[in-house]
Amino acid sequence: MNRGSKDLDRLRGGRSELESHYIDELVSGRLSRRAFLRRGSAIGISGPLLAAILAACGSSSSTSTSTGSASSGGTPTKGGTLRVACTTPAAAVNPLTIADAGGLCMLNQTGEFLIFDSNLKLALEPMLALSWSPNKDGSVWTFKLRQGVTFHDGSQMTADDVVYTFQELSDPKNASNALSTFAGVLTPAGVKSVDASTVEFQLEAPNGSFPYLVSSDNYNAIIVPKGTDYAKWQSTFVGTGAFKLSSYTQNVGAAFVANPAYWGPKPYLSSTQFKFYATQQPAILAFQGGDVDVLSQFVPAGATAVLNSPAYRLIKLESSIHRELSMRCDQAPFTDPRVRQAVALTLDRRGMVNALLSGDGTVANDYPFGPRFASTDTSVPQRTQDIAQAKQLLSAAGHPNGLRVILTTEVYQEIPELAQVIKADAAKAGIDINLKIETQAAYYGKATYGNSDWLDATMSLVDYGDRGVPNVFLEAPLASNGPWNAARFKNATYDGLVKKYVAALDLQTQRQMAGQIERLLLAQTPIVIPYWIDGLTASTPTVGGLNPTSISQLYLNTAYKS
Amino acid sequence: MVKFVLKRVGLALVTLWILSLIVFGAGQVLPGDPARAILGPLAAPSAVASLRHQLGLDRSLPSQYWSWISHFLQGHPGTSYQYQSAIGPLLISALGRSLKLAAVAFVLVVPPGIVCGVIAALNVGRPVDRIIGIVGLSATTVPEFVSGIILIIVFAVGLKWLPVSATAPSGSGFLTSLKYLILPAIPLTLILFGYISRMARAGTVEALDSDYARTATLKGLPRGVMIRRHVLRNSLLPTITVIATQTGYLIGGLVVVETLFRYQGIGSLVFNAAVNKDFPMLEAGVLTIGIIYMVVTLAADVIFSLLNPQIRVAAAE
Repeated sequence: MNRGSKDLDRLRGGRSELESHYIDELVSGRLSRRAFLRRGSAIGISGPLLAAILAACGSSSSTSTSTGSASSGGTPTKGGTLRVACTTPAAAVNPLTIADAGGLCMLNQTGEFLIFDSNLKLALEPMLALSWSPNKDGSVWTFKLRQGVTFHDGSQMTADDVVYTFQELSDPKNASNALSTFAGVLTPAGVKSVDASTVEFQLEAPNGSFPYLVSSDNYNAIIVPKGTDYAKWQSTFVGTGAFKLSSYTQNVGAAFVANPAYWGPKPYLSSTQFKFYATQQPAILAFQGGDVDVLSQFVPAGATAVLNSPAYRLIKLESSIHRELSMRCDQAPFTDPRVRQAVALTLDRRGMVNALLSGDGTVANDYPFGPRFASTDTSVPQRTQDIAQAKQLLSAAGHPNGLRVILTTEVYQEIPELAQVIKADAAKAGIDINLKIETQAAYYGKATYGNSDWLDATMSLVDYGDRGVPNVFLEAPLASNGPWNAARFKNATYDGLVKKYVAALDLQTQRQMAGQIERLLLAQTPIVIPYWIDGLTASTPTVGGLNPTSISQLYLNTAYKS
Repeated sequence: MVKFVLKRVGLALVTLWILSLIVFGAGQVLPGDPARAILGPLAAPSAVASLRHQLGLDRSLPSQYWSWISHFLQGHPGTSYQYQSAIGPLLISALGRSLKLAAVAFVLVVPPGIVCGVIAALNVGRPVDRIIGIVGLSATTVPEFVSGIILIIVFAVGLKWLPVSATAPSGSGFLTSLKYLILPAIPLTLILFGYISRMARAGTVEALDSDYARTATLKGLPRGVMIRRHVLRNSLLPTITVIATQTGYLIGGLVVVETLFRYQGIGSLVFNAAVNKDFPMLEAGVLTIGIIYMVVTLAADVIFSLLNPQIRVAAAE
């Protein structure tokens, strides 16, 4: 250990204040190795340095990163075509507008991000950016770009291309899906090229998690050549990735070939083939029938044949995919926090995870901090089913004989079944829930207040996808001015805490704020989050090296068939 | 005859125009918004507004309809909202696939349907008749997603005789493509078999009971000759009409089979267009199916009238 601390002192030399802070956190044991990798990479400590620090602290980083080989399938062989079952892209493959699982899986086949948010390693990895660092308060972030990267059209990637990409994504005049991420954070004027290989982002407000917003988490942000017409991108798929487009047929499938000019290690596979499936069932049948080698991003419902078979290899990713049950804090009967707490106390969360997710999920605690985030304060006790207390709270709130309410929700994955379970659990405490289950189009409506059942219903159950940091979950559905505040939760203390949380660069402050937010949300219970859902990918046993993320991306750079 | 056909074509054009109005009107009533469907529920309102403007959805309804129909009449079906690409090629390739699948199903179901119907009619009340009737009815009641999944599990996943999906690799020959289409065609065959055989049976029973059939028998014609010359020619008229009315289903109504067998036909194209409120694609798809339906029913009527002079006379008056 003595030798270790000497090594550590050597490694500390020249580290910034923030970096030293994370090293202290690790040494003191306040930060786990995994969390250290994740947080350290977020503020720009390089991979080798992270490993060296971990080694000096007496923990081997190789064990932490070995989760990355979860998908090993024998010895890699060169060549071959990998066939992947993928959800049909719901719309044009346009990096600016795309928002659906199938579409973003297509984007990442040829496109790359500044940073890759690796779910397998639970850390940010340099992709087209080599390093990044904030100024003192986290309001300016500087990115050093990788040199010698060429686009599939032969042109060199420079800072100009990166500036173009982020200016287009953050321009309020564009139909950009990244606008909901960049609102209040970044405007086109804030993106500047310093030199050919350096880009600076001047933010509208300090943001300790900014690297996540330009990582693969922000799925629209693949780097495209300057001047790209996004609407026509689907005819070329020009990116910088290890594979380039061979053919794309709408609604049918896509084929890619290895890119001989790729900047990184050349892929094992010589080509890849994606087959599109409109629903999960035919994709599972095709997987079972040997028509495809990989079943990308599926849900447990209806997939027991794959989940229970030892013949397949499964990759499970801890994710922040969740369902959110909101209760209108400004409408009877939910104006009283005791009624909202009572609803939360009726739920048997463990039972839900087992029955609805085949066990592939984690019980959640009615605030958007979960196991995926390093900043989560895990000392806050888990809420469990307590019907007696729920009844007591209802009586105290003036509903001794129970109450009736309508729960509005959407037809999506296991959500209708979850609504049934909530109804059954709530009935045990005398809460009579009537279900109104709508198509997604009817449920979301115009997705603005007054024009959307999702946002306007007294009680509403909605789906949220995976994010690398909880910022969106904290702001959009819960902040007083949040655009998706279906609970109409307005709490100045909460808003202040979230602001401090978002601006905080160091983990200790973030976790302190997280603890306060968690306790406040448990007391108020504007929303209920029953569980976090694992991201699932399956392959045949001969396939290895898959690199999926919990937002349906699937990188095949290191994939092979043995 | 020419007058008859012209009259029918004119009527068909009016019907298609009304159809286009209904589709447009129904599209406005459906919940949702094309820009929202493309960008997803979580996109910023400003992004949705900007896309609505790009797609021209912020114009008045009559002006949207006028700009669509004026382009359509000049032969430009326009650009799909959802796919951001020209509708023509998307529609033509989907239609081609649908026609192929319909043709395979047609060949598989029509001859056995008619033959079994005639056999049943010639054996009215006997066990053969009962068996054909019960089998046909039972098959009709099995939904495509049930028979389809059973077929896939047995013949593709289990026995591995036939491929799971209906889409043959690009560049496949005729026989390979045919092999891929057999499994998806069977559920359609099951659904239509009962219908066609019952119509053929009813027509034949009626014809057998007619005066001209009795006359033919009484004048001493052998039974086989009597059936071929006098009965079938008359008994199959209603069957032809029934088959013609099923083409709309066989070409545009196969969403379930297309989804299950990963086959991108016009049915799922139109279905997706309706779900995503992709109005230009929906109009073009529905009108294409409508045109095919009308051409086929017109052809059936022409054949019908050629076989039955009474209709020809009535139409010409």
